Amino acid sequence: MKKLRVAIAGLTACSGCQLSLLNCEDELPRMLELFEFHYFPMASSPALMEGEYDAVLVEGCLSMPHEKELLQELRRRSRYLVALGTCAVCGGVAALRNGEEREQLRQSVYGENQVASETYEPLPLHRVVQVDAAVTGCPPEKEELLRLLAGLARGVLPVAIDYPVCTECRMRENLCLLTERSALCLGPLTLGGCSARCPSLGVPCEGCRGPVPEANLAEALEIYAEKGFDKATVRDRLRRFCPEWKL
Amino acid sequence: MNRDLPIPAVISAIRPLTVDTSLVTLNTEPHHPVASSFLPGQFLELSLPGAGEFPVSYCGFPSVDGSIELCIRHIGHVTGPLRTAVPGDAAAVRGPFGHGFPLLAYVGQDLLLIAGGLGIAPLRSLLLALLAQRELWGRLTLLYGARETGALLFTDELLELQNRGMVELQLTVDHLEHCFDGPPYCRVALLPVLLDQLDLEPDRTCAAICGPPVVYPLLVSRLRQLGLSDDRIHLSLERRMKCGVGRCGHCAVGTRLCCVDGPVFSLAELAGIEGALG
Amino acid sequence: MAPQYIANHNLPLLLERLRRYAELHGPVRGEDGVVRFAAIAPGTLPDLSALRTLLPPKKYLLHPQETILNYTAAAGYQLQAEDVRSLILFGLHPCDLAGINYLDRVFLGDAPDPLYAARRATLTLIGISCTPDEFCSCHILPSPLNALSDLFLCSVDEGLIVTSGSPRGDELLDGVKDLLEEWEGAVPEDSRRFFGHAEAEQVRPEPDATLPEWQEFASHCLGCGACSLCCPTCYCFDVLEFCGLDSCSAERVRQWDNCLFKSHAEVAGGTNFRKERAERFLYRYRHKYRGFGPLQGVPSCVGCGRCRVVCPAGLDLRPLAERLEGRPL
Repeated sequence: MKKLRVAIAGLTACSGCQLSLLNCEDELPRMLELFEFHYFPMASSPALMEGEYDAVLVEGCLSMPHEKELLQELRRRSRYLVALGTCAVCGGVAALRNGEEREQLRQSVYGENQVASETYEPLPLHRVVQVDAAVTGCPPEKEELLRLLAGLARGVLPVAIDYPVCTECRMRENLCLLTERSALCLGPLTLGGCSARCPSLGVPCEGCRGPVPEANLAEALEIYAEKGFDKATVRDRLRRFCPEWKL
Repeated sequence: MNRDLPIPAVISAIRPLTVDTSLVTLNTEPHHPVASSFLPGQFLELSLPGAGEFPVSYCGFPSVDGSIELCIRHIGHVTGPLRTAVPGDAAAVRGPFGHGFPLLAYVGQDLLLIAGGLGIAPLRSLLLALLAQRELWGRLTLLYGARETGALLFTDELLELQNRGMVELQLTVDHLEHCFDGPPYCRVALLPVLLDQLDLEPDRTCAAICGPPVVYPLLVSRLRQLGLSDDRIHLSLERRMKCGVGRCGHCAVGTRLCCVDGPVFSLAELAGIEGALG
Repeated sequence: MAPQYIANHNLPLLLERLRRYAELHGPVRGEDGVVRFAAIAPGTLPDLSALRTLLPPKKYLLHPQETILNYTAAAGYQLQAEDVRSLILFGLHPCDLAGINYLDRVFLGDAPDPLYAARRATLTLIGISCTPDEFCSCHILPSPLNALSDLFLCSVDEGLIVTSGSPRGDELLDGVKDLLEEWEGAVPEDSRRFFGHAEAEQVRPEPDATLPEWQEFASHCLGCGACSLCCPTCYCFDVLEFCGLDSCSAERVRQWDNCLFKSHAEVAGGTNFRKERAERFLYRYRHKYRGFGPLQGVPSCVGCGRCRVVCPAGLDLRPLAERLEGRPL
């Protein structure tokens, strides 16, 4: 079987998503039989983009002009473009302060020092290029990542999940932290696929996987209000990973 | 026969029919019911290993040599990857499932087949079955419409049948592509308009319909105006038939399951069911 | 013959004796306070005071996510093989028994589902009477009253009257007969329930799709899936296929689904036959109170009350059902 030619790139992000791929140590040998990781600056040097790719996986959001160029270049060269991780899918933590004055933000971080590069409000990938598939999460689940790669190797894209974290939480027969502990658990609004990793450990969902389709924000806000959480608190929590929440 | 276990099949041919639709021929075990004993309108579940499984209506005629013809639009999660399959690739099949068109009830009747878009697939199967025993039925009429001429399927085959006097054929398209003046055999009108000038005897005519849900309400009301009773109108409904055997719960129409009670229903069976026609 | 009776103080002995036949599971309260069907640890008692477990016993028969087929290039698709162990489920309330009976009708019908059938064959069901709370509606539904089990325990003062409902039940009774006494007292009129009555099943017309209630439900529903995941009879499943990290192998998986999810009625190309959540509530209603396909006319609700208890938005289909069905539920 012909190896799939793959590029893996990181934009504005912490590199954790790429790292979670490298952390699949048991599976790496099998991956190398299926894929030629041709362009993967984080894992290999020198990294030169060349020719066409069967798939590119892109971590991070866009916050600098050169990133946009890089992304468009990758898009042009690749059959499939996959958004890898929450920053790429919905902006993520880098976009936490979107909507605020950028010059003030810059000064609060760097003071009067000069910052080398020009930046703008971080954007998720889909605002700039067509995204064929997305693996969300901060970081993505290993299992989901491996399934994505295994599918790509055969030209199959993952089926989009359409249920919230609550679904898998109930499947695991967990205590409901929202209804039984009155915790600010974002499970009902957050895309599932993580097997309710945090609530299963007694930690309320932080919303790291971004919004579930058809999220019922109005009802959730009412329930949170009954538990004593005002709209601003919920908004801040929700926007930590996804600035595009409208509330 | 284990209805849960797909049996191996090999893709023997993929013939592109339009930009997004192919005629796929599979070969499976000779004499297996999945290929040899189905009624037009029934469906099978086709697996592409690694991609998944999807329900698809039979498009051809039952065979004893294990060959199966399917007309597939490559727009789904599994049908997409199927587009790049090549002869010799492995597939798997389960079926036949559901209820097809009621051939026995059609004996001695005039038959009016109405197909919209990809709905021609099961109706081609029905047409082939009817032609195989041509003497059992009265008039055979096929009304077939698509978005544009490039989306009409099997036109050569259908025009050949018309020329041989086997079927009265009327083709129509919603609109013409810029580059065409329109072929002489094809009208430019919405499918239900073809019924306007149709001369039929409602007491001895049965209608078999398959098309996108959007055309059903208009077709049905037009057929009723022409005097056809609801038990003379059969429609094939599309739903998400994931298991094919009445267990997965996705394909109910009212309280009927498309996979076991359908996908072909008489209009009388669908009476009072909100949303049944789309 | 007088009814057989086991005194409450002999319950630990009964459990130890049952353990010789198979692994023993029953309602167990976890440290987090959640009551789940789980293994009853030796020397401990199940929580027989709990009215309902979070998940119903369907989890033993249909796992939340399970492989149903395996594919290899050499062998094609093969049914998933599983080592099933014998299991006694102890302390099933009539609603949960009815739930299993209903699933049996779906999955053990003309062509039994292989995994379900294999697991079901190794299950022994021991039911127990209970007293409903305000969330329950079992006492008005026919199925819990008529539910089948291998053994059924009916609470009376100081103990449990034991009746057998199958040859397996007879076998177990025989094995514990030294623990049984003859019950001299009165047996409650309905040996399963302390109150309640069955209504005849009726075929009713389609519910009115234009009722404002469907929209009202939709506006409050979070789409979390809890109602059906926790329902003893909701069996809808999605089917997924995953490739192995090689050039050919694959597995097919089914997982619990919910009719309120967006994709439930979506077909290839993006057409959604139940685009609006309100339409999905109508779908859910039909399934719960009217039944689908071969079970048309058989309500699948067994009145356990779980959907009402677990809904974060406190949604309750029952008042509407009572109005549409014209009787209390």
